Amino acid sequence: MILAAFRSEWVKLRRPSLFLSLYGAIAGVALLITILTFALAGHHFRGGGGGGGGGGGRVAITLAQLAQPDALGKAFSGFAGLLGIISLAVAGAQMASEYSVGTLRNLLIRQPRRLVLLAGKYLAVLTFSALAVLLACIIGAATAFVMAHVRGVSTSAWTSSAGLSDSLKAFGEVALAVCGYTTLGIVVGNLLRSPGAAIAVGLVYILPFELILSATVSGSDKWLPGQLLSAVASGGSSDVNLHTAIVRALAYMILLAAGTAALFVRRDVTA
Amino acid sequence: MTVAIETHDLTKRFGDRVAVDHANLSIPTGAVSGFIGPNGAGKTTTMRMLLGLVRPTAGTGSVLGEPLSAPERYMSRIGAMIEGPTFYGPLSGRANLVVLARLAQLPLQRVDEGLERVGLTDRGNDPFRAYSHGMKQRLGIAAALLPRPELLVLDEPTNGLDPAGIGEVRSLLRSLRDDGITVFVSSHLLAELEQICDHVVMIQLGQLMYQGTVEQLVAAQHTEVWARPERPEDTPRLLAGLLAAGRQARSDGPWVCVIADEDCAADLYRLAVREQITLVHLSTRRQTLEQAFLAMTGTVSGDVAQPVASGVGAVGGGR
Repeated sequence: MILAAFRSEWVKLRRPSLFLSLYGAIAGVALLITILTFALAGHHFRGGGGGGGGGGGRVAITLAQLAQPDALGKAFSGFAGLLGIISLAVAGAQMASEYSVGTLRNLLIRQPRRLVLLAGKYLAVLTFSALAVLLACIIGAATAFVMAHVRGVSTSAWTSSAGLSDSLKAFGEVALAVCGYTTLGIVVGNLLRSPGAAIAVGLVYILPFELILSATVSGSDKWLPGQLLSAVASGGSSDVNLHTAIVRALAYMILLAAGTAALFVRRDVTA
Repeated sequence: MTVAIETHDLTKRFGDRVAVDHANLSIPTGAVSGFIGPNGAGKTTTMRMLLGLVRPTAGTGSVLGEPLSAPERYMSRIGAMIEGPTFYGPLSGRANLVVLARLAQLPLQRVDEGLERVGLTDRGNDPFRAYSHGMKQRLGIAAALLPRPELLVLDEPTNGLDPAGIGEVRSLLRSLRDDGITVFVSSHLLAELEQICDHVVMIQLGQLMYQGTVEQLVAAQHTEVWARPERPEDTPRLLAGLLAAGRQARSDGPWVCVIADEDCAADLYRLAVREQITLVHLSTRRQTLEQAFLAMTGTVSGDVAQPVASGVGAVGGGR
């Protein structure tokens, strides 16, 4: 039954206006970021720590760094923020619009087991987000190989066992983090029942609110869900290691998912 | 008589507001039952409770023999459209039905069958947002028919339809009844309901006012007997004779109207003969469902509550 709800949700998710435009945008952004990273590698920027002079300034990344085994993995981690925000927005809108448009009652008439419906919907949106991560990583990796050839960067380290391992690990971390953002989207969409409000509140919380809080309250980024997801995507941070970040983020997600499920099951559907 | 829907003291409160107040519904199997009442009377809330969308505050009930508290046991046998058709605008009509068919694990051929039954086959691939209101309504009915239901619950299915569309819905409901499907339908078009309903439930301010056959309801209302003397100057004399005989009567131009049962026509005729008054018209008018509704609920067109003068009492109903 969950599979039926999952397949039903995918009919909506694969509509061209969402699927093609969103995945097209993600592919485009992944392409652009990768091209810019290679194009600007080794260039000096003003205002960095390198001092004045024509050749002075900060170097964002060097060509030698791009040839390291973990270069692709770091590129994947760089996509996490964007993918997280997109996933949160899509999940929030998908959930909230069922209430605001009134389509939830149609779904519940055909599937009155509310937990089954929610689980199928949740899994569908999770796979949608995971596919977005996969797409971004594939486009990023393919572009990286092309750009490496253009800039004369050796790619042998990328395809070594250490390089492949690093890339896969980074992909898994980003996918996990994005699943977390998707969960937050489902939670806020179910809570607020308005797509606009869900997206706005979700983004305001993840971006300015948590960033300000973590900057002003010492040690708070070890506990804030968004900061923990960011740490997961980066393979750990200076404040919290990967293992702790995953455990705490998972605990948050399980609690939030349980609360959302309880609300979804008990709530009267009057829209 | 077997019942498809039965409730006992079904109640729903939203805060201090009582939307449905101890409703005791009994909807017969295999009939078309109309659900009528002014806006805000509690019709949609009652239907939502029957469909498991809203949790009753109190009361019990059963739908198709299964307890109201376990909608997962009976919803696969029910088709429903509540508060108008709502679908995903960017998706085609067909895709919208596929969403529901997949969810309920129904064969996808039902989607095309449903579209064909409501005449949307040619427009099935158009986006829902491009549909006219009537087409949206028909898609809603197609969605309700997807599971080949034993019980169909429809909330205002003729809203926004043109006369031809209303006629189609009427024919559809009749054919469904002929197929043995129980239909529970709310509508503001009482004349339409009167044509297709065997049974009617009337609700006002959350309380059942009447439930039973349309025949019984209409028969319980007074009949009007209208007569017109050949010479208008005889009208006051005829009226005076009727009032003297203890009849509830009034004149309206050259017409005399008596509110009574149908047998009164014979008495009126005898009175006219006795008084040597020649009648050029004598007829009885039974009240329509709409008039019965107005008399019982004191509202106009099922909308904003407006008291209307009436001496007709309500028939005993639910509570």
